[in-house]
Amino acid sequence: MNATASKYVRNCASGFVALLGASAICPLPAFAAEDGAGIGAILPQMDEFIPMLVAFIILWIILAKFGWPLFDGMLKKREDTIKNSLEKSEEARQESERVLAEYREQLEGAKTQAQQMLNNARQSCEAMESEMKAKAQEEAAAIVAKAKVAIEAEKQSAIEELKGSVVDLSVDVATRVIGEDFSDEEHRKLIERYVKEAGSLNA
Amino acid sequence: MPNRHVINEIIAAYANAALNGANNAGGRDAVVEVRNQLVQILEFMSTNIKLRLSLDDEVFTPEQRSELARKVFEGYNPVLVDLLSVMASRGDVEKLRRVYADYEALIVSKLDFNVVDVTTVVDLDDNLRTVIKNKIKADLGRDCVLVEHIDPSIMGGIVMSTMGNYIDASLRSQFDRARIVLKEKTDGGEC
Repeated sequence: MNATASKYVRNCASGFVALLGASAICPLPAFAAEDGAGIGAILPQMDEFIPMLVAFIILWIILAKFGWPLFDGMLKKREDTIKNSLEKSEEARQESERVLAEYREQLEGAKTQAQQMLNNARQSCEAMESEMKAKAQEEAAAIVAKAKVAIEAEKQSAIEELKGSVVDLSVDVATRVIGEDFSDEEHRKLIERYVKEAGSLNA
Repeated sequence: MPNRHVINEIIAAYANAALNGANNAGGRDAVVEVRNQLVQILEFMSTNIKLRLSLDDEVFTPEQRSELARKVFEGYNPVLVDLLSVMASRGDVEKLRRVYADYEALIVSKLDFNVVDVTTVVDLDDNLRTVIKNKIKADLGRDCVLVEHIDPSIMGGIVMSTMGNYIDASLRSQFDRARIVLKEKTDGGEC
């Protein structure tokens, strides 16, 4: 870009010098001398123009010799700086895009991992809940079964106790009835029957 | 300390002396009387430890122990009193239960009859005695002498025992068995 600008400046200066040369050769100054009004009003006086042209040319040569290389160097440096900056910014942009892509990838991975963890946690929670429910049901069933067994045992115990009481009472009543109601003769008959029915003393 | 064979001989000598003495003195009745009194004395001594220990106590002289036995059992059969006196003087009263067992065995082996304890609620009549003796003769193959006891606690029926054999045909045992059977039945006697 710097070279293009330098070339453009050189071309402009060359054109301007050619224009000035042509103006000097052409008969326009005659018209200007002849006619002080009209176009002559805008045309330069030769006695002023030549020194100015010379001064300009000298200035142009000085500038072309010393100013333009300096200016060109500055432009070149500026161009390099901008070019470097653009390259760096491009690199930075690419790096940032890479990092961004990486972050996005990581974020995506993190999201997937988080989702996986969430799913795992949910599954674990569901499994634990099912297990706890099953355990609670099992414990409840065991408690109920134990309670049933205890109730049944208590019931059987009460029945046995009641039966024992009834038996004791019945036997006591029977004993009392027999003891009071049997006469001596009835006792003797009973003894005789028992002796006949008894087993052997030699057993 | 003498070995068990010597002790057995001593016990057999006491039993033989008692049996022969009673048999010579009064025959079968005296033998049975001595046997019954031996049972009474054993029961009495089982509940009176002090007397039993005193009769064997070496603090006393043999004469003192002999005299003590004679005085304590003064009203019993003289043969038995002599036996107890001799046993006390020798410190052998502790062997009295085994002497009794030998005595009963000697009754069977030497005199060929059994002494049978019969327990009832009422007195036996002659018919019952005959029935019981026939039953025992059929069982044991020899004659017997019945020793009758009245015990209202058996409620009815009869209990017979001799030489360690035992028949309990009492109402009390019947009721006890019925009580056990009824309590053990789980169907409550339903049809």
